[in-house]
Amino acid sequence: MKRITDLSSFNAAHEAGLKKLLPAAGRIAVGMGTCGVGNGAEGLYHALSDGIQGRGLGFHLAQVGCYGPCSEEPLVNVWLPGKPLVILHKVQAQDVAALLDDLSAGRIPEELALCKVEEWDHITGRVKYGSGLPDLPKWDEIPFFAGQSKIVLRNCGLINPGDIEEYLAVGGYQALYKVLIDANPEMVIEQIKAAKLRGRGGAGYQTGLKWDMLRKAVADQKYLICNADEGDPGAYMNRNEIEGDPHGLIEGMVIGGYVTGATEGILYVRAEYPLAVHRLNLAIQEAEERGLLGENILGRGFSFKLSLVEGAGAFVCGEETALIQSLEGRAGRPTPRPPYPAESGLWGTPTNINNVETWYNVAPIVVKGPAWFTETGSPKSPGTKVFSLVGKVQRTGLVEMPLGTPLKTFVYDIGGGAPPMKTVKSVQTGGPSGGCIPKEMFDTPVDYETLAQLGSIMGSGGMVVMDEDNCMVDVARYFIEFTHSESCGKCVPCRVGLDQMLAILNRFTAGKATEADLGMLDELSRMIRDMSLCGLGQTAPNPVLTTLRHFRQEFEDHLRAHRCRAGVCENLALSPCENSCPLHMNIPRFLELLKADRLEDAFLSVVMDNPLPASTGRVCQHPCDNRCRRAGIDEAVNMRDVHCYIADSIYKGGRYDEMIERVLQHRFPPTGRKVAIVGAGPTGLTCAFYLAMMGHSVTVYENNADAGGMLRYALPEYRLPKSVLDDELKLIYRLGVEFVFNSVVGETITLNDLSTMYDGVFLSIGTWKETWVYLPGTELKGVLHALPFLEALSKEEQVPLGRKVVVIGGGNAAIDSARTALRMGAEVTVIYRRERKDMPAIPEETEAAEDEGVKYVFLAAPHRIVSGEEGGVVAIECAKTTLGEFDSSGRRKPVPTGEIQRFECDTVILAVGETVDLDFLKASGLKLKEKEKMLDVSPFTLETSRSNFYAGGDLISGASNVSNAMGYGKKAARNMDQKLMGAFRWPKLWPEFEYSMVPPAHVSECRRHHIHELPADERAKGFMEAVTGLTAVEAMEETGRCLRCDIREGNH
Amino acid sequence: MMVADSVELKREDREFIDSLVSKHRGRPGMLLTILESIQENHPQRYLPDDFLEYLAARMGMPTAQVYSVVTFYSLFNLKPQGKHTVCICRGTACHTRGSLRLLEGVRLQLGLREGEEEGSADKMTGTTADGKFTVRTVACFGQCALAPVAEVDHRILGHVNERALEREVEYLRKARR
Repeated sequence: MKRITDLSSFNAAHEAGLKKLLPAAGRIAVGMGTCGVGNGAEGLYHALSDGIQGRGLGFHLAQVGCYGPCSEEPLVNVWLPGKPLVILHKVQAQDVAALLDDLSAGRIPEELALCKVEEWDHITGRVKYGSGLPDLPKWDEIPFFAGQSKIVLRNCGLINPGDIEEYLAVGGYQALYKVLIDANPEMVIEQIKAAKLRGRGGAGYQTGLKWDMLRKAVADQKYLICNADEGDPGAYMNRNEIEGDPHGLIEGMVIGGYVTGATEGILYVRAEYPLAVHRLNLAIQEAEERGLLGENILGRGFSFKLSLVEGAGAFVCGEETALIQSLEGRAGRPTPRPPYPAESGLWGTPTNINNVETWYNVAPIVVKGPAWFTETGSPKSPGTKVFSLVGKVQRTGLVEMPLGTPLKTFVYDIGGGAPPMKTVKSVQTGGPSGGCIPKEMFDTPVDYETLAQLGSIMGSGGMVVMDEDNCMVDVARYFIEFTHSESCGKCVPCRVGLDQMLAILNRFTAGKATEADLGMLDELSRMIRDMSLCGLGQTAPNPVLTTLRHFRQEFEDHLRAHRCRAGVCENLALSPCENSCPLHMNIPRFLELLKADRLEDAFLSVVMDNPLPASTGRVCQHPCDNRCRRAGIDEAVNMRDVHCYIADSIYKGGRYDEMIERVLQHRFPPTGRKVAIVGAGPTGLTCAFYLAMMGHSVTVYENNADAGGMLRYALPEYRLPKSVLDDELKLIYRLGVEFVFNSVVGETITLNDLSTMYDGVFLSIGTWKETWVYLPGTELKGVLHALPFLEALSKEEQVPLGRKVVVIGGGNAAIDSARTALRMGAEVTVIYRRERKDMPAIPEETEAAEDEGVKYVFLAAPHRIVSGEEGGVVAIECAKTTLGEFDSSGRRKPVPTGEIQRFECDTVILAVGETVDLDFLKASGLKLKEKEKMLDVSPFTLETSRSNFYAGGDLISGASNVSNAMGYGKKAARNMDQKLMGAFRWPKLWPEFEYSMVPPAHVSECRRHHIHELPADERAKGFMEAVTGLTAVEAMEETGRCLRCDIREGNH
Repeated sequence: MMVADSVELKREDREFIDSLVSKHRGRPGMLLTILESIQENHPQRYLPDDFLEYLAARMGMPTAQVYSVVTFYSLFNLKPQGKHTVCICRGTACHTRGSLRLLEGVRLQLGLREGEEEGSADKMTGTTADGKFTVRTVACFGQCALAPVAEVDHRILGHVNERALEREVEYLRKARR
């Protein structure tokens, strides 16, 4: 290796590097950061190497770091002379042969391509690759990179980190050369100051000021330290930076050494990053051999020694004074400041410590000047910051964005939002020193000050996205467990305080916390924050303080209702499926009972948990599927269809009457209490079942002529045959529940009447009133509303329906109307203003409708309904929408464009939502929620503002689904009984079952069974049930797929 | 202070430690590096007490100081490590994607019970009675994009689920017979 001592040897090395980047025969480079290697890049590299050698091809094969989109690894970039550099993604070893075929024939395998790079700005230099390939997007045109500005990551994924000549080729060490030639250290420090470069480790202190202090300190020995002890769980920026571009770090430090007068530099790197350590050591050796490090650098008489020390696994060593202790060979316990390291640091000499990323910004500022640097980012915090975007987003990886970019850009635009069927809930920034920011605040620009205002910090740049499956109390507990075990133990507030906090948080997650704990948590947090010695303790309470501030409701749920909605806190739930079920069915139990061939016991288990098991078995939105742990292995257990099978088998098997007798045996003796229920929908029926089971005398008032509510009057026969509902109602009739039909509360009977006649009243009126939409033409003949349309049909009334029907909406009512109209012989189009994936309807239903011939038009909002000469509908006009910004539901807002589309039709069915009859509510004198126009009840007991009046279902939640509604009925019954009887009798209602509590020895290999759809053309002809349920064998096999999350250590 | 010669050690161990001490003589900051080398060189990847006593005597520092360093950093082991190591990442991204379940699963599979383990779920290490497997956790591998992550004998497994991890461990278990 030739030492570089002057401009000509510098340029020679630069040219040699360019020949490797742009070789005449073309180049193939494999992304071999740890993330690439973890995805199989090593095997891929060897396959490429063997292939190139075996075929005698001339390609230059190189290893590079990670280009950023880690979820797309293994990444391979390929370049052929004259063409752009093309980034290929998810390349597998089996792609190699075809890849080499293509490249040797001068073709780019576009089917593997993620994007192309025509010219790359390395900041310190530019590389022109070439142009062409018009079908491929440019790198900054794909969503993951849109808006990114690569300053720190300027070289990552493009140059070989193990070859100093490639670094020189892209302008590396030019800044150092310039600084040494200019020989004006003060000017460099002034530039860093003018660039307002702030420490990227998280605290955000001005780097220029720190350097100035070190320069002015008088001592024989001065040290520079690079803090690469990246210990924040959830953050890995520094690892990728070092693995991809070690010389960028070294150059920054040598410049720092020269301008501050330091004689020695130390890189303190986590031992958990072996590849980063290896590449840095290699780069140090290469730089020394080339005369860019060590004695007489670039022949300018300046000497700077750089060595690497591996940390030994202690988070607190990220704290500068602890890091110094560790370098001195001691346990890494922080020391009080002052003295600051700039006065007395390593071995008592002046020392400056900067984070990895800070050092990477040095060379660009030197080359391009501070004015260029301050063009990016926000005025107080110029430049960019690299974030590791991970957790519950579709695209993960390293993202370099200008400071001040709003959070939602990261989560939705770059990350692509939550995985399908999930909703983002919050983002955790700053690791154990930061906090959780709720989705409602995603407009917040990310910089040091704004995040601090929300109680979080930017930290080193970890960004972990959480969805509804993450419990915020658990997240707080997780971080305190972490800081608690990483606390060095030196100061009391941190050591003892965190121990107490962890004990309290453990009580919350175990459902054993008290009201006093909530206050104590807050008080302890403030004490630890204000009184700890170092940054670890001072920031450790942040995760708790932010969750208390932004997610207090979750703490209250754990405390008062012993509920963890995310299903994470195991002690508060039987299993994830039970926890997600609005009825809290003991799902593992009925699966196990059926598995043991005990169908009748399984039915008893099911019906006691859910008095309408066959109806819900057909129409439930099955939230359990989304939470099933089996989904992590293949697919969720089909729990809904198994309980449907169990119920159907009993109803059809001739043993139903016996089973009703078995249920009745569990009924409590009569209490003499009288209860009225208003509304015989699923909510009211559920409440009636449980109150009757507990011995109360129950009367249900219903304004229709039969029971069932939406189940009878809104759900079409092909989804839920009325005979099934009638079977289920037998049990409720046999319990002695009385029904008063055709009775309108407020007209035939008043609330005051009910109050005097009964000991308790439960209100459960559905959302039968259609949402009023302003749309010219809604008054026309031929415009129908979905629910009255479905209701009329279920009552076998004549509905005049045309031949061409347009349905407006994307919910279940829209799909039900569409499939019903289709069965009546119409041609049907559903128009929805958002995208398909945003439809609230059950996806199976939308697909089934499409198979039957329903057409969809997405991204269109109704504009006006056009009338013909006779006053009927002839068409509907819709404005095309485009997708705008993300709203707080995590969906893009539809924004109407001026473009109008016209759809010829003779009937329009509006299915744009339903609400509760507000007039009734206003007249009731009960307290309403101010904003949402719903009844205000205690969230924990469901009691209204009037004593002994309870409410549930759509009245308090707005339009929802059957299972949610029934869940309210069940909860109300429990609380009403407690109030009526002055005792908590609920647990005694449940029969005991003996069943196996042994977890499966092995995970069964069986895949999920689905219900069977009739052929689309056949089922679309009439109203017979569109599906047939699971067979006995399938149901049995499904039970064997359960992982038995209800069994935990200690209970078997 | 302990006299170096009073500690009973095998000759090659003695010589190895001596060579490390003389290599780093005059640089007290290298204690961590020396300890890392000793542990790496030990077939069971740990630091036996008599090694620490000998090292302290050789470096001319109290054994307590060496001991305080060894117990402070999670990298150092005071107990013999298993032939195979299964390491579960407990970083935030892995936690939110269910790494606690992975840890519980592998503990159950290997029959690791209380008493064979030290620490909480956040920072635990335990070795099976037969010395074949050590299960431990790491604060974060920095592999968050592949969460949840486990490492089996220094090989990173990304997006690992319970069944995949169970198979890996089962493979190692069967291979030794």
